[in-house]
Amino acid sequence: MTADELGAAAATSAAPTPGARPGAAVLRGGNALLGLLGFATFLALLEVVPRLGLVSSDYLPPFSRIVGALGDLLREGGFWAAVGDTVWSWFLGLLIAVTLGIVVGFVVGTVPVLREFTASTIEFLRPIPSVALIPLAVLVFGLSIKSTLLLVVYASFWQVLIQVLYGVADVDPVARDTARSFGLGRWARTLHVTWPTALPYVFTGVRLAAAVALILAITAELVIGIPGLGAEIGVAQQSGAVPRMYALVVVTGVFGVVVNVGFRALERRLLSWHTSVRSEVPV
Amino acid sequence: MKRRPLVSVLAAAALLAATAACGEDDPADGMTSIKVGAIPIVDVAPLHVGIAKGFFREQKLNVEVINATGGAAVVPGVVSGQFDFGFGNVVSMIIARSQGIELRALASGNSSTGRQGADFCGLVVAGNSSAKTAEDLEGKKIAVNNLKNISETSVRASIRKAGGDPSGATFVELPFPDMPAAVAAHRVDAALVVEPFLTLARDQGARVVASSFVDAAPNLTVATYFTAQQTIDERKDVVDRFTAAINKSLAYTQANPDAARQALLTYTQIAPEVANRLTLPAWPPQINRSSVQAVSQLMVEDGLVTRPVDVTAMLP
Amino acid sequence: MSGGAVRIGRSLLALLLLPVVLLAFWWVLSADSTSFYMPPLRTVFETFPDTWSTDGLTEHVVPSVQRLAAGYLLALVLGVSLGVAIGSARRLRAFLEPVLEFLRAIPPTVLVPLFMLFAGLGDTMKVLVIVSGAVWPILLNTIEGVRAVDGTLRETCRCYGIGGTARLRHLVIRSASPQIVTGMRQGLSIAIILMVISELFAADNGIGYVLVQSQRGFAIAEMWTAIIVLGLLGIALAMLLRLFEWRTLRWYRGLREAQRGRS
Repeated sequence: MTADELGAAAATSAAPTPGARPGAAVLRGGNALLGLLGFATFLALLEVVPRLGLVSSDYLPPFSRIVGALGDLLREGGFWAAVGDTVWSWFLGLLIAVTLGIVVGFVVGTVPVLREFTASTIEFLRPIPSVALIPLAVLVFGLSIKSTLLLVVYASFWQVLIQVLYGVADVDPVARDTARSFGLGRWARTLHVTWPTALPYVFTGVRLAAAVALILAITAELVIGIPGLGAEIGVAQQSGAVPRMYALVVVTGVFGVVVNVGFRALERRLLSWHTSVRSEVPV
Repeated sequence: MKRRPLVSVLAAAALLAATAACGEDDPADGMTSIKVGAIPIVDVAPLHVGIAKGFFREQKLNVEVINATGGAAVVPGVVSGQFDFGFGNVVSMIIARSQGIELRALASGNSSTGRQGADFCGLVVAGNSSAKTAEDLEGKKIAVNNLKNISETSVRASIRKAGGDPSGATFVELPFPDMPAAVAAHRVDAALVVEPFLTLARDQGARVVASSFVDAAPNLTVATYFTAQQTIDERKDVVDRFTAAINKSLAYTQANPDAARQALLTYTQIAPEVANRLTLPAWPPQINRSSVQAVSQLMVEDGLVTRPVDVTAMLP
Repeated sequence: MSGGAVRIGRSLLALLLLPVVLLAFWWVLSADSTSFYMPPLRTVFETFPDTWSTDGLTEHVVPSVQRLAAGYLLALVLGVSLGVAIGSARRLRAFLEPVLEFLRAIPPTVLVPLFMLFAGLGDTMKVLVIVSGAVWPILLNTIEGVRAVDGTLRETCRCYGIGGTARLRHLVIRSASPQIVTGMRQGLSIAIILMVISELFAADNGIGYVLVQSQRGFAIAEMWTAIIVLGLLGIALAMLLRLFEWRTLRWYRGLREAQRGRS
């Protein structure tokens, strides 16, 4: 059962279970081909359905027209400025959230009393949708990056915190006691026992936070009008430039994929020494 | 582990960069950079004309215009200091004032032309709608660019004038650019649109049932250029320069309406032939104080404010 | 027993101490507040009955929750049924994987302007928006869960000739349920976010509508009450899901505890 759990956990990526089964490489190649075929079919449908008039091409332009709009976008300086704005606010917000999450998570997680007493507060605050803070952000920070940061940090912080708490709680008590009986002080124990154990969880938290941060950054731009990809989408929609709008949506999707895949790859590389790579721990 | 120190260095660097205040005054050439919150509609054409003609540069002001969906979105920007000045409708200002936000109008923004059926704004319905007058819009769904602004007040005034009861109408917030399509597709029963979207809506077959800004008050001052009292207290010099520049821009645009039409092409996405056909608002040099007072009264009737607000304190 | 009472007392204290302290802090710090954005907490509480009277509740909270429920349940049905189908067929899964990976990476909120084009401004649009975002975590987690069904169990079912709906229910869905519940949890928070977003523009009722309307009228205390209501809604729904999880995953908890004990 354990091996399968690990297999399922490791396979949050597109690749099949990294198993030592013979012919696994062939299987992976075959799957990759199928995947490519699937993607190609999707694009073909996207081209054909609007042209056949099954869906009005005013609402869903054919793929070729979206590509054309994408090409125009890539040539615009304004587009790249918007990309820069979005990436910057995403990165900054993520950085702040991760730093806060790790620090708070470690402090709260390693002191049992703190953990016990903060549990209810965390459970209360965590489900509050950060978008509820949008009007407040607009009032306090207006149309500046600080509004975006408020939303991004608030939402991403919880992702990191929860995972760090799981990680710290998962420390093998035998290892911890061994370290203590060998005379390692609190700091040394944290560094050599708690941190390595929690690291996969931290990575999961950062990965989840990265995805959430992107969503919130673009949402803030879309709803409030802060400069960035989200704002460009809003303007395109309002100008009735439908292919351009779809092209921008594609760009955000590509970003999302890059963030997801990139972080998973990073995780696998940096944690290759760890015996298990975990997905979000259920329950 | 190697990740931690890197993270803290990056964090420090990023926080430093983020908190570095953007300099507002560039002492080298004496120019002051200011941000003005505005809306991408025909009303603010004088602002853009003034920028293009260098009236602001004459006053050593470097203007950056930032667009929002409406006055109710611009006011928070001014209050939070993110915008130095704002363009917004008088209703949003009065509501802000009633909540204790100290805003002051500096100059007239624009006015209704005062002519029914020939104003720069219109309450429109779809071409095949059954509504013939504003009275038919009792209890219907009407789109406005911001909730609780002059559009709401004026539409209610139109319904009242046509003999209907305005209290049942529901208002839905939609940005101006979305309105023509929403009206044509019957997603809303009516919309209060201003140019250039009025012409766009008409081109799509919409019909004007009332010129609401005319119904609200005679020669209605629709909007003003305003700022926070605090800005006046702290940077009177900049405020005076801005006021001088914008008044010059308004006078110039009123005398040269084609300049307005040209400017429209730079800050909106409309086609030149549409710009040539649309109705321009009036840009009188003075705010019509009695119209603002009348609007304040209407707001009490409609329940937007609980007590009448003394508007003299907020006018120049 | 006094020992038991002390333990219960301590748990209760742990549960309530920090929230109460924080609330007290908020109350005291804001009591003399002249800040525009943070009125005294007392004022916010006093505004509560005005804004959220029984009328307010029926006019705004009920439609919001109805739309949320409709969207979430639809996402659940779609996500689980498609997830089981895709997860069970290895080739289909490989075929669809890149497409799903891409579609799921699109931030759900950017689809709102898209949906406004298609579906107008009414309840349909709002429910569609909620479904379009909430379905992905449920779908993808279901696929993962179905994929990871233990081989031995699968073979055993085949040996015993268990097939059809019984197999589906007892083998597939039960094995996948911890993963499905994870997806449900992520889906719920996305659903709530989308519910609020869909009510921020082009709406005429709903909690999000009250939120934006009070901001437009600079009625800050009212705005804070809307934020609090949203927070309470989020908490209530998270607790409901927890309860559901507790009941349906009893078997899983026991299994994990046994494993932990062994290892």
